[in-house]
Amino acid sequence: MSLLELKNVSKIYGELHALDQANLTVEKGEWIAIMGPSGSGKSTMMNIISCMDRPTSGQVIFDGKDITKESRRKLTEFHRDKIGLVFQQFHLINYLTAVENVMVAQYYHSMPDEKEALEALERVGLKERARHLPSQLSGGEQQRVCIARALINSPELILADEPTGNLDEANENIVLDIFRQLHKEGTSLVVVTHDPEVGEVAQRIVRLDHGKIVSDRKNEHFTE
Amino acid sequence: MNKKQRMFFRMVAASLVRRRSRMIVALLAIVVGATILSGLGMIYYDVPRQMSAQFRSYGANIILTPDNENGIEENTLKAAVAAFDKEQLQGYTPYRYENSKIHNMPVTLAATDFQSVLKTSPYWHITGSLPAAEGEALIGAKTAESLGLSLGDTAAAVNSFTVTDTTDISGIPDYEIVTDPETGEQYCDHELELKITGILETGGSEEDYIYIHSADMNSLLLRERGYDVVEVSVAAMQKELKGYTEAISRQVKGVSAKLVKRVTASESTVLTKLESLVLIVTLVVLALTMICVATTMTAVIAERRKEIGLRKALGALNSSIVAEFLSEGLVLGGVGGILGSVLGYYFADIVSMNVFSSGITLRPLLIPITILASVLVTGAACLIPIRSAVDVDPALVLKGE
Amino acid sequence: MFFRMIRGTFVRQWKKMLMIALTVALGASIATAMLNVMLDVGDKINEELKTYGSNITVVPQSQAVMNKLYDVEEGDAGEEYIAEEKLGELMTIFWANNITDFAPVTDTTVTLNGEEVSLSGTWFDHHLEFVKKGTTYQRDTGIINLRSWWDIHDGNWLDEQKPGSEAGAMVGAELAKKQKIAAGDTITVKGEHSTETLKVTGIFESGDEADEGIYTTLPVVQRLTDSQGLFKKAEVSAITSPEDELAIKAARNPSLLSGDEYDLWYCTAYVSSICFQIQEAIPEASAQAVRQIADSEGKILEKTQLLMSLITLMSLLGATLGISNLVTSGVMERSAELALLKAVGATNGQVTRLVLTEVLMTSAVGAAAGYFLGYAFAQIIGQTVFSSSVEMSGMVAFVVAVLIISVTLLGSLPAVRMLLRLRPSEVLHGGH
Repeated sequence: MSLLELKNVSKIYGELHALDQANLTVEKGEWIAIMGPSGSGKSTMMNIISCMDRPTSGQVIFDGKDITKESRRKLTEFHRDKIGLVFQQFHLINYLTAVENVMVAQYYHSMPDEKEALEALERVGLKERARHLPSQLSGGEQQRVCIARALINSPELILADEPTGNLDEANENIVLDIFRQLHKEGTSLVVVTHDPEVGEVAQRIVRLDHGKIVSDRKNEHFTE
Repeated sequence: MNKKQRMFFRMVAASLVRRRSRMIVALLAIVVGATILSGLGMIYYDVPRQMSAQFRSYGANIILTPDNENGIEENTLKAAVAAFDKEQLQGYTPYRYENSKIHNMPVTLAATDFQSVLKTSPYWHITGSLPAAEGEALIGAKTAESLGLSLGDTAAAVNSFTVTDTTDISGIPDYEIVTDPETGEQYCDHELELKITGILETGGSEEDYIYIHSADMNSLLLRERGYDVVEVSVAAMQKELKGYTEAISRQVKGVSAKLVKRVTASESTVLTKLESLVLIVTLVVLALTMICVATTMTAVIAERRKEIGLRKALGALNSSIVAEFLSEGLVLGGVGGILGSVLGYYFADIVSMNVFSSGITLRPLLIPITILASVLVTGAACLIPIRSAVDVDPALVLKGE
Repeated sequence: MFFRMIRGTFVRQWKKMLMIALTVALGASIATAMLNVMLDVGDKINEELKTYGSNITVVPQSQAVMNKLYDVEEGDAGEEYIAEEKLGELMTIFWANNITDFAPVTDTTVTLNGEEVSLSGTWFDHHLEFVKKGTTYQRDTGIINLRSWWDIHDGNWLDEQKPGSEAGAMVGAELAKKQKIAAGDTITVKGEHSTETLKVTGIFESGDEADEGIYTTLPVVQRLTDSQGLFKKAEVSAITSPEDELAIKAARNPSLLSGDEYDLWYCTAYVSSICFQIQEAIPEASAQAVRQIADSEGKILEKTQLLMSLITLMSLLGATLGISNLVTSGVMERSAELALLKAVGATNGQVTRLVLTEVLMTSAVGAAAGYFLGYAFAQIIGQTVFSSSVEMSGMVAFVVAVLIISVTLLGSLPAVRMLLRLRPSEVLHGGH
C-alpha cells in the first residue's frame, strides 16, 4: 500500500487552476522532490499533502484512508500525527529556546519530554545550542531546529517547503546531509523546491507547471 | 502536575518573561485601567462623605427647641446629643436669648458656648477675637453700629429688676433701689460690664445680637434657665438627618428636633448632582480606558498571528491555542489588577488629601472588583482577536512574509 | 518618494494605523471631555448652589448712620425703605447676568384671628420691566427660586402673573396647622393701616420660622404698612467666584486697591464686587453678602473644582500612557520593515522623519475625531448631571492638540531610539 495517493486532485481559485487533475503516489520510504517555477502549484500541492488545505475536487488517500471528506478537526489531528513540517522561514517561536520549540510539537502531539527533544536536537547536531533562543542562532541552526521539531513525533512523512531557500551553501549541505540520513533510516520525504541542486539529490523528481504534473521520473543520479 | 501541564506553564511563563517589552506595554495599559477603576471608584464612594463634611460650612442642619418655658436643660441636651453618631456629629452650639439694655437702647443678649460656635457657624466673620474670659462679648455688626461701639470698648448691659416681695436681689452687689416717680414702682438696676473683643459680620440676623458667656448671663439675670435653641451640625444626608430628628423628638422629653430645610434640602440637591457628576465621569473615563486596554491587547495579540498559524501547523487545536493565549491575558489582567488597585488607592488618597485634607476610606470590596474587572476586560480583549486569529488558515499566514 | 512611502504605509498597515488613531481618539476624547467639564463645573455647581437661596441682601443705608447724621430720635422714623422701582437697576449693573434672581421683601406684623403673625410681602414670579437710557430691560424674577427648599403641602405656588392673584397668600405649615387653614380658604389680616382679605393658594413648609408666618404679594403689605412703592429689604441670588486674597483685601476697603487690582476686582464676580456695584446702582441701599451662603459656596466650589481637576489630571495621565504605549508598540512592530529601509541606505534622519510623519498624521486624524467624540461626552455629562449643555472652551482644543502632539512624539521616542541603534543585519537575520 502506498503512503500517499493524490487522485485527479484539482484546486481552483476562481478562474485560476492552481492544481489541475494532479495524480501522484508516494511510497513509504521514498524521497521525492517536487519542482517547478514559482506559480506552478507547488505550494498548493504541499498544502494539500500536509492536510492544511482541501482540494476542490479529487481524492487524497493517506495510508489507505480517504481524508478528503474528513472534518477540519480530524484533518488537524491527522496532520499532527502523520506529518512533520519544515519551512523556508523556519517559523520558530522567538521567545522559546531551541529545545522548547521542539517540545511544543510534542506538546500538541502527545506528551512533552525534554530528554527526547534534546535527543532530536542531538540528531541534527545542535545539542550544545539547545538552550539558545532563535535570535541567538544562525539561519542554518534555526533550520536544523525546525527539522528536529518536524522529526520529534516520528512522522510517517516529512514535508519540507524550500528548506534551503534562506540558507547559504554550507548550511544547505548540512540540511541535505540530514535528509540523506533520514532517508536511510526509512523516513518518507517530500521536498518542495525550485533549486535544482536540492531537487537533484532526491530519489524521484516530479515537475509541475501551471498546476499540471509535466514529468515524474526516477533520478538516475540518486545515490544512497 | 503532569508534563503536559508543566509545558503549558512553561510556555505561558516564557511568553510573559521573554517577550518582556511587549508584556510591559500590555501590563502598563492594564495597570492604568485598573488604577483608574479603583481610584475613581474609591473617590466616587468617598465623595458623599467628604463633601458632606464640606457642606457643613453652611452651618447647623438640625435645630433643637424646647417644649416648655424652661428651655433645654444641660442634661436634656446631653441626652439629645447622644443620639447622634459621634463620627457624624460636627458640633452643637446652645443659645439662650434674653432682652437687655445698653445705653438705654434695647438689645438682645445671646448666651452661647464660644468653644463650639464656629463648628456650627463656620461662616461667622469675626473682627477681633471670640470672647475668652467671662465679661467679654462678641457684638453683631449692626448692633455695634447702632450703639456706636467698636473693638475694645466696654459697655454695661443693664437689667432692671422690679422689686417685689418675691425677687431676691441680694445677689446684686451694691444694689440701689430706685423708685419711679410716676408709677411709684420700685426697681433695681443690675449692670454687667462687657468688653467687646470681637465684631461679628454674617449678613444675617446674627448681626443684631450680642453674644456673651452663659455664666455672665446667669449673673446678669440672677437666675439660670435652659437654652432656647441648640444648633447641631451633622455630616449626614437628609434622610438620615430626618431619622435623627424623629428619634430625638420621640425619645428625649422636653426637646423637639427639626431639620433646617434650607440647608438639608439644598445640600441633598447639590450633593446628588455632585455624586452623579463623579459617577458619570468615572463611567465615561472607565469606558474609554477599558477600550484603550482592549485595543492594546488586540494589538499585542494581532502581532502574533504568525505564531498562531505555526501552532496550528504543528497540530494545535483551536481550543488549546485559545487556552494558552487566554491564560497569558488572565495572568496579565490579574497582575495588572493587583498593581492597579494598590496604585488606585494611593491615587485616591492623594486626591483626597489634596482636596479634603483627609485620607480616603479604603473600600476593601473595590480591590477584588478591580482585579476581577481587569481580568475580565483583559480576557475579553484577548478572546476577540484570538478567536479571529485561530480561524486563520495556517498555510496563508506561514506563506506570507 | 517620501510621501509615496507614507501612503504605502497607510495602505498596507491601515489596520495598525487605525488602531493607533483609535487609541489617540479615545485619549483625546477623554482629555476634551474632562477638560471642558472641569472648566465648566464651577459654573454648573454654582447654579446648583443657588438652591440655598440668596447670597446678598440689599437693605436701606443703616438706620444708625441716619440717626447720627440727623439726630433723629429712635422710633417710627427708624422704619426705612427703598423705592421698589429702583430694583430694576439690578438688571443694569456689570454683573447683571450673574444675578439669577432677586425679590424685595417687606415684613410686618398683622393680626389674624386674634393672633399676631408675621406677614411678608414679596414678588413670586414678578414680571419686571425697567427702562434706562432708552434701553428696556425685562425679566421674570421673584421668590420661587429663592425658596427652592420649600415643600408645598397643599395647593400651589402663588402665580403672580394670573389676573386677580394680587390678593393671594401662602401660609406657613405651622400656622396653617394651628389655625386650621387650607388652600382655597380666605383669611382676613388686620394691619396698622388697613385690613386685607387674602385667598390662600398654598401651604408651605420651610423648616424655619417662616412656617409660622404668611407670604403675600408686595402691594398688599405696602397698603398694610402704608409704604406704597417701597420695600424694606431685597434678597439677591448671584453666581459668584470663590473669594481669594484680592477679594478679602477689597472687602476691607475697595479704595485701598491699586488701579489694576481694582479693575481686576471690579471685573471678577466676587460677592464683594457685586455688592459694590449694587450700591453704586442704588446709592440709598447697602448690599451685604450673606456669609452663610457666600462663604460656603466658595468653599464647595473650590473643593469641587479641585476634585475635578485631579480626576481630570488622572484621566489625562491614563490617556497619555495609553497613547504613548500603543505608539511605542506600533512603531516597534515595524522594526523589520524600517531596518530594511536602513539596509537599502536610508539614513537615521530619513527613517526617523518617515516614522514621525506617519505617526503624527495618524495622531492628527485620531485627535480630530477624538475632539468631537469628547465634545459629545462632555455634552452627555452636562445633560445627564445638570440638564444643561457644557460650554466648550476654545482653549481646550489647543491644550488637547499640544498634549496629543507631545504624547505622540514622546511615545515614538523609545521606538526611534531603538531604530537608531538598530543594525539592519540583526533584524533581517533574527527571524521573526
